[in-house]
Amino acid sequence: MKIAPIRRTVQILSLAGMVAVPLLNSRGISAVSGSFYSLEIGSLLLTDPLIALQPLLATMSIDATLLDSALIPIGLALVLGRVFCSWVCPQNTLSELFDAVGARLGLTRLWTPGPGPIPRYAVLALILAATLLYGFPLASLLSAPGIISVQTARFIYEGTVGLELALIGTIILVELFLVRRVWCTHLCPVGSMLSLFRFRKTMRVVMAEEGENTCLHCRECAKACQLDLNPMAGNIAPQCHNCGACIDACQEMTGERRPLSFRF
Amino acid sequence: MSKQFLRPPGAAAEADFLGRCIRCGKCALACPYRAIRIAGLLDGLTVMGTPVILARKSPCYLCMKCVAVCPSGALDSRVKKREQIRMGTARLNKKECLNWQGTFCRSCYDHCPLFNEAITMDGELRPVVNEKKCVGCGICEHVCPADPAAIIVTPRGAG
Repeated sequence: MKIAPIRRTVQILSLAGMVAVPLLNSRGISAVSGSFYSLEIGSLLLTDPLIALQPLLATMSIDATLLDSALIPIGLALVLGRVFCSWVCPQNTLSELFDAVGARLGLTRLWTPGPGPIPRYAVLALILAATLLYGFPLASLLSAPGIISVQTARFIYEGTVGLELALIGTIILVELFLVRRVWCTHLCPVGSMLSLFRFRKTMRVVMAEEGENTCLHCRECAKACQLDLNPMAGNIAPQCHNCGACIDACQEMTGERRPLSFRF
Repeated sequence: MSKQFLRPPGAAAEADFLGRCIRCGKCALACPYRAIRIAGLLDGLTVMGTPVILARKSPCYLCMKCVAVCPSGALDSRVKKREQIRMGTARLNKKECLNWQGTFCRSCYDHCPLFNEAITMDGELRPVVNEKKCVGCGICEHVCPADPAAIIVTPRGAG
């Protein structure tokens, strides 16, 4: 079975939810409320782990409710990897869309960064250090999913949007013309934080051992990857966010014997 | 320090508030009067994304729904009664106030949610703000018929 149709459905539902929540809230229906910073479903509070950590660093005081609300997202990352990024995040959905447009137009980028995770963790460390130093939640201003959802709500409530959306526009332009998908692979602090929560058993894309199944070395998986990772090379975490495009491409070539699959 | 804004009920002192608020916007979603607006980049980088109240346009009616939904404690959920709120203090500008110009008006006095406590009328029937009782909701500023408003809320922590 293909992964793409399921993932597209989840992405569309996430976008629909992002619009529906403020629409319903504005009419007094608030069983679900919030944004991609922090979401409240009934009495269940879910907060982005990076966002939940900020007040602790900024004010040096512990708010148990806020920290607890990050546990379910952390648990999800520990089990399924960064599926928030690839299946839910509106910035990823936008970036994927524009990447497909770029491919249609035959755009070539100026520069291809290395695949290592060091740059992204360095950016995350810098942001957290600044939060600690200046007592100011910098990552909130750099959370693309947060900005997109809050600005959507603002548009619904006030009919206007803020200049904060310039960040989203910049990401799209940079990714189209300078470095392919660079926000998601090297810069986004939200994704970097989520990629810290992984262990041996976290779901990931695995190439079957030699003999178990046969890799055709067709490279279709690497071609399918928008993040320019090579699943045949093995260890692609933590850059890989489990979108499953490579697995679909592999299945295309090898049928149900596909050597590439999600494993725990 | 940039301009001080009027914050929703229960907000911590400004510097602490800016550190605690995660800019999630839930308070604005919860406000049934749409009084809470989300500050933008033009309001300043440090306040961008935080909730502000423009009392002249739309004041706070002290329903406390925003305090209940705040996930980060930036709006202190221990603030439950309206008397505990300290958003700011209303200040009367006698030069603009109709009563001081000889026209009788009791808009601010009548609309104050802490009726006859935060705003009283003096012996000459002119409004007087009781700074100890005023919570800074801004309803007086909103209803003031003078233009510009003769009674304006100064946010807590501002001059």
